[in-house]
Amino acid sequence: MKILSLALALLISTACLGQFKKKGNNTLPKQRPTQQNKFLEKQWWLGFKAGTNLAQAKPIKSYTVMVPTNYSEQLNAKSYDSFLKTGSQATLEATFYYKGFSFSVQPTYRHTRFTYFNQYRWYNNDNSAETLELRYDQEQKLDFADFPFFIKYDILRDKLRPYVQVGIVYSMLINANKAVTISGTDYASGGTNQFANETIIVGAKDLFENYWSLAAGVGLDYNLGNVRVVLEGTYIKGMSNITNTKNRFGNDRLAGIGDAQDDLDLNNIVISAGVLFPMRFLSSSFKTLDR
Amino acid sequence: MRYLFILALVVLLGCSNDSDPAADKASFTRIYDNSKFNTTYFPIDIKQTPDGGYLILGGRSVEGSDFSGIYLLKVDAFGGFESETEIDEAYVNPIGPLFLSGSNYYFFCMTPVGFQTQLFQVDANGTPGTPIMVGQSYPLSANMDGSNFLLLTYDNVDKESIISVIAPSGTVSQSKSFSIGAGADIVIEEAIDNHFLRMGKQIPFLVGKAGSAFYFNGFYNYTLALAFTNLVADEPQGIVNGSQDKGGVSQAVPLDGGKFALARFNFGDNYFLPSATINSSGISSSSELGGNPLPELAPNAKVAILRTTINARKIVIYASDTRSKQIALFGYDEATGALVGSKYLGFSNPFEIASLTSTADGGLIVCGTTYVAGRFTRICLFKLSQEELTEAFKGF
Repeated sequence: MKILSLALALLISTACLGQFKKKGNNTLPKQRPTQQNKFLEKQWWLGFKAGTNLAQAKPIKSYTVMVPTNYSEQLNAKSYDSFLKTGSQATLEATFYYKGFSFSVQPTYRHTRFTYFNQYRWYNNDNSAETLELRYDQEQKLDFADFPFFIKYDILRDKLRPYVQVGIVYSMLINANKAVTISGTDYASGGTNQFANETIIVGAKDLFENYWSLAAGVGLDYNLGNVRVVLEGTYIKGMSNITNTKNRFGNDRLAGIGDAQDDLDLNNIVISAGVLFPMRFLSSSFKTLDR
Repeated sequence: MRYLFILALVVLLGCSNDSDPAADKASFTRIYDNSKFNTTYFPIDIKQTPDGGYLILGGRSVEGSDFSGIYLLKVDAFGGFESETEIDEAYVNPIGPLFLSGSNYYFFCMTPVGFQTQLFQVDANGTPGTPIMVGQSYPLSANMDGSNFLLLTYDNVDKESIISVIAPSGTVSQSKSFSIGAGADIVIEEAIDNHFLRMGKQIPFLVGKAGSAFYFNGFYNYTLALAFTNLVADEPQGIVNGSQDKGGVSQAVPLDGGKFALARFNFGDNYFLPSATINSSGISSSSELGGNPLPELAPNAKVAILRTTINARKIVIYASDTRSKQIALFGYDEATGALVGSKYLGFSNPFEIASLTSTADGGLIVCGTTYVAGRFTRICLFKLSQEELTEAFKGF
């Protein structure tokens, strides 16, 4: 995975540096540029996108409040879901297009969710009725302000314009909360008593930090009059721990029920659709997107 | 522009909020769980070991016995489990504190038959040695006086509270007995029995030395009393009387200048006296001492007191149990007795204080009992960093 991250970083660097060095040689057809074509080599786009995202929290290092003294830690280990819970995001996009490449900043509000659970069991070897099983289901909801910088490359330049993009994202934590549901089966109270306690919901902003990510994705632009419709999918790979390492035990309500925040990388698959508007026109009757 | 981009990339790569072992040691919460449904484990005292870890003296339920067995737990500097020892059931009812003398740790316990006091030595890894027979019956409380131990015991035949000075070899070098009262009230005997069987209220028995005077908090003359003695005279030189087992001193730690950090209880109410002056040469009543009322504490709450230094200021920390089943820490300026802050530990499940001690990194380790899933009695630790202590007890 580290190699993948490194390759992604290298790709971004190369693409950027390549742009800085570029002197006249580009991918446009080698015909003599007309005034209009020359004009269309550059364009500013503004727009907005919205969509859904799926999260994957990957433990870097696991922590626990509950320390077993006579059984394996693995029996209580947390089990995280992977790209299961949907979140949502809304994005403003400002893009500068130049000869097939686009440089884009896309401030985003992102709400993302992931879950994990762990289980405990207490029993008496001499009396199987003396058994209690508990399951702790924890849902984490995080809100971030993302500040991505993307470089896009248009593979085709027709009305339908597929593109690839790579980028770097800095995510600032806005809010976080956690919902814990404890359910279980008590075999000792005279029967098979299945129960679920009321969900505990706590603010958990202190448990998390800002983080940064690398991103790569594909998308499709469709020119519709003077508007460009966008559909894209991006994989965002978290590159730094989202956990506030000084506060992992800081929430008494969570620590009291045996929960400690793991060190985590947060990865997302983000799917968005939106519209972009061109900012430069030849004249009021000229439609840049008709070209 | 190119350099700006490279700089931004380097900054982001450097912004990885990696795991922080120093932070992991400085602050943590741990609950030591055992899968046995019908076994309880509770802590008595904790000491930090030279490796930065912690040695916990505890008790455990013993099948077929009314007394508590002995449990030793060794954890590392992060609170991670290292080892546990369940000492043979031929030895029961351990009492704190856990004393450090030389490179070894010591504690007292007794035999379940004959009720004779034993002195156990434990190394820093939590490995116990062979116990030494001390001989006094029913150990109630212990303390250190230089290289010797002070021990408060109860003689159930002659109905006496006995204070003794004991060498590390187990030899009793000095001893004095005080009657709990001729034909002692059934209430007193029942209170002592319940204390030993952990069936009811735990009586706050204490023993120690303040200046040249020895003191004990135990039953004397039909009531729980804080008594001062020179171990020569037949009668105590000073007595602070409680009210049978319903009132009296719940904790006392000598301060400089003859003062005490004191806690008292009276028919369920609790009071803290962070800078108390006690009449150690006359008869007085604990209810006359006044103090700060703490209605949030559980009735007749257990209290632990620690003298420490936080941010170059001498602070006395009181730890006790709240009615809401949290552990409450109250900090007082040792010089003035003024409150400098408070902090509450634990939530969701019940938590009760056992002991607290300062750590080598300037922090605090608080050892308590919790009830996992609201049912299973287990040992818990709260490690607070120096920063957390400074913030909690910075004053007003």
